[in-house]
Amino acid sequence: MSASDNMIPAPAVRSKPLIIRHLPYFIGAAVLVALAAGMQFDGYILNILLQATTFSIAVFGLSVVLGLCGQINLAQAAFFGFGAYAVGLGTADLHLNFWLCLVGACAITLVAGAFLGMSTLRLGGHYLAMVTISFQQIVTLVMINAVGVTHGPDGVANIRRPELFQSSQSYLAFCVAMLAIVGYLVWHLPDTKLGRAMRAVRDNELAAGVNGIDVFRTKVSAFAVCAVLGGLAGGLFAGGFAYVSPDQFSFAESIQFLTMSLLGGVASPIGSVIGTGLLILIPEWLRFLKSVPGLYLAIYGLSVILIIRFMPDGIWGFVSDAFTRWRAHTKAPPVAGALHLKPATAGGDIVLEVTGLSKHFGGLKAVDGVDIAVKRGSVHALIGPNGSGKTTTLNVLSGLYKATSGKIVLDGTDITSMAPHQRTAAGLGRTFQNIRLFRSMTALENVEIGAERPSNTMIGKGDDALTERAMEALTFVGLGNRANELISSFSYGHQRLIEIARALASNPTLLLLDEPAAGLNSTEKLELHELLKRIAAQGLTILIIDHDMTLVSEAAQHITVLNFGRRIADGESMAVLRHPDVVSAYLGSE
Amino acid sequence: MDLILQLLFTGIGIGAVYALVALGFVLIFRATNVVNFAQGEFSMVAAYLMVVCVEFGLPYWLSFVIALAGMALLGVIFNLGVYYPLRHRTYLPVIIATIGASILLSNTVLAIYGPQPQVLQGWFDTPGIQLGPVYLDSQYLLIIGVTILLVLFNFWFFEKTLLGKKLQATSQDKEMASLLGISVSTMIMITFIYSAVLGGLAGILVAPVLFVSIQMGSTIALKAFAATIIGGFGDVAGAIVGGLALGVIETFGAAYISVPYKDGFAFLVLIAFLVFRPQGIFGERVAEKA
Amino acid sequence: MKLTRREFSAGLAAGLAAPALMRSAWAQGATIKIGMCVPVTGPAAEQGLWAQNGAKLALAAVNKAGGVLGKQVELVIEDDQTTNPGIVLAFSKLAAQSDIVAFLGSIRSTQVQAMAPDVIKVGKPVMIGGTNPDLTHSGNPWLFRFRPNDNYSGRVIADYGVSTLGKKKWAIVHSTDAFGTAGGKALTEALTKLGAPPVLDQGYANQSQDFTPVVLAVKQSGADVLGTYFTFENDLGIFARQLRQLGVNIPWVGSPSVVAVSSTKLAGPALFGTYGVADFAEDSSDVAKSFGKAYRDAYKTAPDNQSAWPYDAITILSAAINKAGSTDPTKIRESILATQKFAGAEGEYNFDKNGDGLHGYNVVKNDKGKIVYDKHIDFND
Repeated sequence: MSASDNMIPAPAVRSKPLIIRHLPYFIGAAVLVALAAGMQFDGYILNILLQATTFSIAVFGLSVVLGLCGQINLAQAAFFGFGAYAVGLGTADLHLNFWLCLVGACAITLVAGAFLGMSTLRLGGHYLAMVTISFQQIVTLVMINAVGVTHGPDGVANIRRPELFQSSQSYLAFCVAMLAIVGYLVWHLPDTKLGRAMRAVRDNELAAGVNGIDVFRTKVSAFAVCAVLGGLAGGLFAGGFAYVSPDQFSFAESIQFLTMSLLGGVASPIGSVIGTGLLILIPEWLRFLKSVPGLYLAIYGLSVILIIRFMPDGIWGFVSDAFTRWRAHTKAPPVAGALHLKPATAGGDIVLEVTGLSKHFGGLKAVDGVDIAVKRGSVHALIGPNGSGKTTTLNVLSGLYKATSGKIVLDGTDITSMAPHQRTAAGLGRTFQNIRLFRSMTALENVEIGAERPSNTMIGKGDDALTERAMEALTFVGLGNRANELISSFSYGHQRLIEIARALASNPTLLLLDEPAAGLNSTEKLELHELLKRIAAQGLTILIIDHDMTLVSEAAQHITVLNFGRRIADGESMAVLRHPDVVSAYLGSE
Repeated sequence: MDLILQLLFTGIGIGAVYALVALGFVLIFRATNVVNFAQGEFSMVAAYLMVVCVEFGLPYWLSFVIALAGMALLGVIFNLGVYYPLRHRTYLPVIIATIGASILLSNTVLAIYGPQPQVLQGWFDTPGIQLGPVYLDSQYLLIIGVTILLVLFNFWFFEKTLLGKKLQATSQDKEMASLLGISVSTMIMITFIYSAVLGGLAGILVAPVLFVSIQMGSTIALKAFAATIIGGFGDVAGAIVGGLALGVIETFGAAYISVPYKDGFAFLVLIAFLVFRPQGIFGERVAEKA
Repeated sequence: MKLTRREFSAGLAAGLAAPALMRSAWAQGATIKIGMCVPVTGPAAEQGLWAQNGAKLALAAVNKAGGVLGKQVELVIEDDQTTNPGIVLAFSKLAAQSDIVAFLGSIRSTQVQAMAPDVIKVGKPVMIGGTNPDLTHSGNPWLFRFRPNDNYSGRVIADYGVSTLGKKKWAIVHSTDAFGTAGGKALTEALTKLGAPPVLDQGYANQSQDFTPVVLAVKQSGADVLGTYFTFENDLGIFARQLRQLGVNIPWVGSPSVVAVSSTKLAGPALFGTYGVADFAEDSSDVAKSFGKAYRDAYKTAPDNQSAWPYDAITILSAAINKAGSTDPTKIRESILATQKFAGAEGEYNFDKNGDGLHGYNVVKNDKGKIVYDKHIDFND
């Protein structure tokens, strides 16, 4: 199960200062645990706190899958139920040890989550919504009808707790401790490699793919993490309340988890706790409202609409937004050294060899039997009028489209049938005509994702090396001093530079630039031209598409011309531009 | 054989109900790229409107007209209140807002009308006819008939009328449509109205069979949604065929495999389709546009 | 340190439970308090209202007759939201008020099961209406049932069908929820004991839109009598109509939903001539008749079992506390268990050692849309 390899973020390997920096968190958590253990709560408050604590852990799961990775899960109550039944049936019927059952709960939900994810995450969001609903319904049906195993609608009673935490008070303290630990992991997940990958997938799947992220695996991981947290929470819930029944894990509960997550703020575990706490407490406070059946839920439904409309990032997102902006400006980026590009040289003189490449959409032959050979260390341009198949070719090269026929060899490796992220690992880097950056991240984080390309030889181990490499790339394009700003604060031209820096940080063997001059003013175009020269000076091979003939003729030594999906000319720049077919293709043949 | 015929009739009857609701799903999805999770509540609200009018003493046909007019109004309000403010955001907030709307609608009706199910008389006085060994419920016959008419109407409307073509164009490419001078927001408004009326029609037709209750919409809607995927998401013919197929599969599954797991068949078939043939029976387009 | 901690805890408690505390603050000590968990919201909200009506009617009578231990009795109501977690919270909220001496729990068995661990912890008597036999048979000494449990409904249905109607080939149709499954099991057991094991035992899931496969299964089984446990009236209505449409007209003895007012309204003629068991039937006894009259006078509608059992529970609980002469939980418990031959609205209460007060059911008939009392069947074991 490769999907789970990098599931658990590894704060352990972090350097010491970080631990010290996070000491307040642990002290705070310890105080909370001590409070939970030491204060004399009555049964009512104890039950509310226990419910809030366990539900929060399940909602953490949603903040990972929905907040970090942007995938919807409408079956969290089913996973919660899996965990609860594992502990319930395990301790009550099979008389197993509580801890064993809790581990079992996590294992079962991990497998179920990964399996469900693998079967559907290749499809888009609506399908995922529907499949998770279906899964939820089937789980409920099985819980009710498989009486022999689950006791059916009667539910499971007499669920036991671990010997160590027999009293409700100590069990609550244990759950709070679990909440603190899981909360810490979820809090720091965004800063790990997996977490960055999830955010990248959420912001822009295509860009994530061409930057070396295995989109599918990342989604499955997020889904599995979410399921495991649901299972863990369910297991703890079962121990806390000693009784579980199918109606506690219905579709309605899944919706409730989702609302908790959205209300508090889907992006952060703090939001999860706020949302969960509020949605458990508010109904308690508003019990008086409930004299008219339906009124409370009607208000609840209305609030969901209003929150989505006016507070898209939830309560915590609302609060923390201003703070984050302010902090991003105050943190000065580290000073970086010069960027070194060392393109790999495994193959021969030709870096990219494309033979007989075709891409057909139904009857339309967008690309038809095209040959391209890009020499190592050269700047090669691919030009043609609108609709000639340039961008389609680039998309087939980077793996966004599957080639209908033909062969693509990059630096001696056949990449024709590889997924985008595998091509990136093989040494391909690219930018997009309509800029595809990860919009919720800073410039530095964007470039870090590029630098994290598998088999990037120009980067050492650890987060510091990653930041260093990313800073070098940003400095190289002239934006090092604004590294910690969010993408939205950059001009269009600068965003384009960041996208190039992101590709450069990965130290590609071949850089594909998709109309880099589009939308730039003349000053910016000059800067871009200078930049291309500096990149080429380091020996990096570039394949560029553009309309700007000045840029193309000055930068490229070699030009391939497409028209109606076919290659009509190929050769040394000046010669090709004077070719009569090329002239007529551009000017129209009279 | 008698048994099979009887099951087939019921399966097609209940499948036609799914198909009607599925049609509403598909129209909204094509126009807005959003799944409306409150589609089932449209059916429920219409059925309650109908009950209110009939109890008020209005003639059946007038109640019917008023209920459908009410649904058109609800479609307008729904578009302005739920979809329109979020139209520039991703599908996720919109889905969640429609879930919120579904909770709001069903509980508002609960607050006004209470939880007891209500009775709505059928269109015909005769409950049904015995045709050889098979009993044909008159209301199911009506539902099947209306479904056939609607399929023909939709074909005519979308292929032959200017408004239908404008709607088609909008659902295929909004930018291009607006360049051609089509008001995209008007087209989306019309879609919401049409789809609310369709959902309402399904609710009114099915109410005499299933009674009028708060939950009547949500169970049907889930199945109808499954039907749209089986038929091929975004495809009108697919929604009809998917709905009918689901009704028949469910009925035979219940008769020959297991009654308690009846609801599970729909979802199992759905997952099987998603895994092995995600484009559905008719669909071609799978992945969202690059 | 200790003092501040306790103060903080109290402050937190006050914040969380503020409304309830405010309500009861000035009544401290002047009354005897009984807690009641009841659905004010959720699918059973309306039934919850009827339950409150029944309890309040009994309360008024008790207070008029001098109250309990010389004090007036007060009812403290909490919403259980018709859900299991909801009743756990509602009950623990009530249990946190130490001056509440006893409680009324739920009519829904799963809710009673959910709150049962807390009931043991609190250690005070809880009156319940849930009919799953296990509730009072799994060693929880604090649960007292004021409706006959499902063993009896199964036995009464079987006994009536076999002995009175003389039918031996049974088809059973039941919901697969907690209520239907337990009922179906009890009926099967009772029939097997009577030497007439069912020829068909068919479960269905709640909120089915179509019952054709079920009806055809009944038809094909060749059964000459039908026993049912339906939970929701709309399911029952659809089933009944399809049953008649497909030509099945065998006698039908069912659980209380068959003769419920709303089913009669929904299904119309399809239910004419059916029999149902009912724990409450207005014509079954003088007490039931006088309860019915008082209820109609107060609330202008007909009473049913939802309001009858809380009525009996409050009446018997008050009498038991008076007899015990104390609000000590153990003494109340012993006093309730000692209650014998007590005529209530639901029937004659003879508490057994498990805490079950009733041991039989009424059988009623749908006579062209009117529900008429037929006979009462009681068991002694």
